[in-house]
Amino acid sequence: MVKVTNDKTENSQVFLTIEMAPAEVEESLEKAYYRLVQRTRIPGFRKGKAPRAILERHIGKESLFEEALNNLVPQAYEQAVKEQEIEAIAQPRIEIAQTDPVIFKAIVSLKPKVTLGDYQHIRVTPEPVAVTDSDVDAVIEQLRHQQATWEPVERPVDFGDLIVLDIESDTAGKPFINQKGAQYQVLHDLSFPVPGFAEQLAGMKKDEEKEFKLQFPSDDPRDELAGKEASFKARVSEVKQEVLPELSDEFAREVNPDFKSVDSLRERVSSDLKLRAEEKARIDFEERVIDAVVELSQVEFPPILVEAEVHRILDQRFQRGNQALEEYLRSINKTEEELHEELHPLATRRVTRSLVLAKVVEEAKVEVSDSEIDIEIGNMTKNATENKDKLEKLLNTPQARESIKQTLIARKAIQLLAEIAKEVKEIKTLQKEAQK
Amino acid sequence: MHLYQILRRPLITEKHTILQTQGKYAFEVVAEASKPQIKQAVEKAFKVEVAAVNVMIVSGKRRSRGRRQLPAHPWKKAIVTLKPGDKIEFFEGV
Repeated sequence: MVKVTNDKTENSQVFLTIEMAPAEVEESLEKAYYRLVQRTRIPGFRKGKAPRAILERHIGKESLFEEALNNLVPQAYEQAVKEQEIEAIAQPRIEIAQTDPVIFKAIVSLKPKVTLGDYQHIRVTPEPVAVTDSDVDAVIEQLRHQQATWEPVERPVDFGDLIVLDIESDTAGKPFINQKGAQYQVLHDLSFPVPGFAEQLAGMKKDEEKEFKLQFPSDDPRDELAGKEASFKARVSEVKQEVLPELSDEFAREVNPDFKSVDSLRERVSSDLKLRAEEKARIDFEERVIDAVVELSQVEFPPILVEAEVHRILDQRFQRGNQALEEYLRSINKTEEELHEELHPLATRRVTRSLVLAKVVEEAKVEVSDSEIDIEIGNMTKNATENKDKLEKLLNTPQARESIKQTLIARKAIQLLAEIAKEVKEIKTLQKEAQK
Repeated sequence: MHLYQILRRPLITEKHTILQTQGKYAFEVVAEASKPQIKQAVEKAFKVEVAAVNVMIVSGKRRSRGRRQLPAHPWKKAIVTLKPGDKIEFFEGV
């Protein structure tokens, strides 16, 4: 029989100490011997014919013990869990504390506990959305820059100009950049190729030649260059100035033939901006609503969920089995553990949120019907042109439908919360309660 | 020849393990060893009493070495019968 002690319960984790009876261990060792002897080749014996003493000497007592425990521990664990009436959600973490008698510790993760707060009465005010004239102007200015033409001018280089130059340079005797006819836009505070490079060029005339020296900053990301000095020889062969198109109906047509005048362009830009701002405000609002609900709720879950989430995040970022993760780790100069540590808060937040949302779904009885899934699939395939049938088939598999369902349920739950927060829903729920 | 050089190694095989239940232990011994020498050596090394010693020459099997088949060296095997009740612990598990 096994002796189980429940040490403590913490963070939805139960710490168990399980002690095995020696007779049971012996029985398990005997079984392990029969298993092992069948597949161990020992000189002087046919397979499966060596006595236990010889086998023990040949592979070591520890190997036999290990084999026995591999089978014994899960069994004992299962028994212990049944005895203690624990509902485990994942594989336990097991640690062998002692071998004679066999005592091991198991950390069992429990189902997360979520207690929602009074989420029916959360109130969050949505941020008002406003698009100002200056926002629109800024976008139009950007459009003008996109449509700008570069025209050669006969004057010294100024900031904002695009120049064509021949350049020869080296750092500490090694060639750095050597290029003829390179295009370079002279801008303030540009750190390429070296901070101060653009400033050196400003004021040069066409066909002028100049030699200068510049120092790389000591924190330059290119390690081999940091703190070094480079000498440059530059010759400007052409200076071009940016000519912005005039803000006219013609320019509007240039941007898109649909626009007849500047006014229609402005209108479109402003409505686009507004749409985008509204979308952003909606997401922000929903975020805040969820945060508010989470704030009200009490969530307790085993750390194993966070770890699983961290792994999920990493899997999403880096396809499994790819080298990318290792390369990324090298590039940020961190070990995998450190990265995990870093992702911990994010993962915790995600887990809490999904648990709270799941609870809301449960309490508010959010449901998604099959027809709603069909509509969603329709929406998803609407924009596909070429392999629409294929896509539809792919989305119609039970797994895909299930995942779409989950997404829709989550979306609905968020919507519900948002409505509550905006006080739209309250009347309805009150009515329902009154009916009861 | 010194006593300690007589016994070369214990023979632990399926067959000899069965013989052990009859109190018989097998060794490879040097070819020059005589029965009394073997008896002495076993008694001294394992602190047991030897009842009988049987010896045999095991002829070498052909061993392939590279492409050629060469005969391996013949060697002497001794089966030592202990006085009933005596045991050599060394042959058993650790």
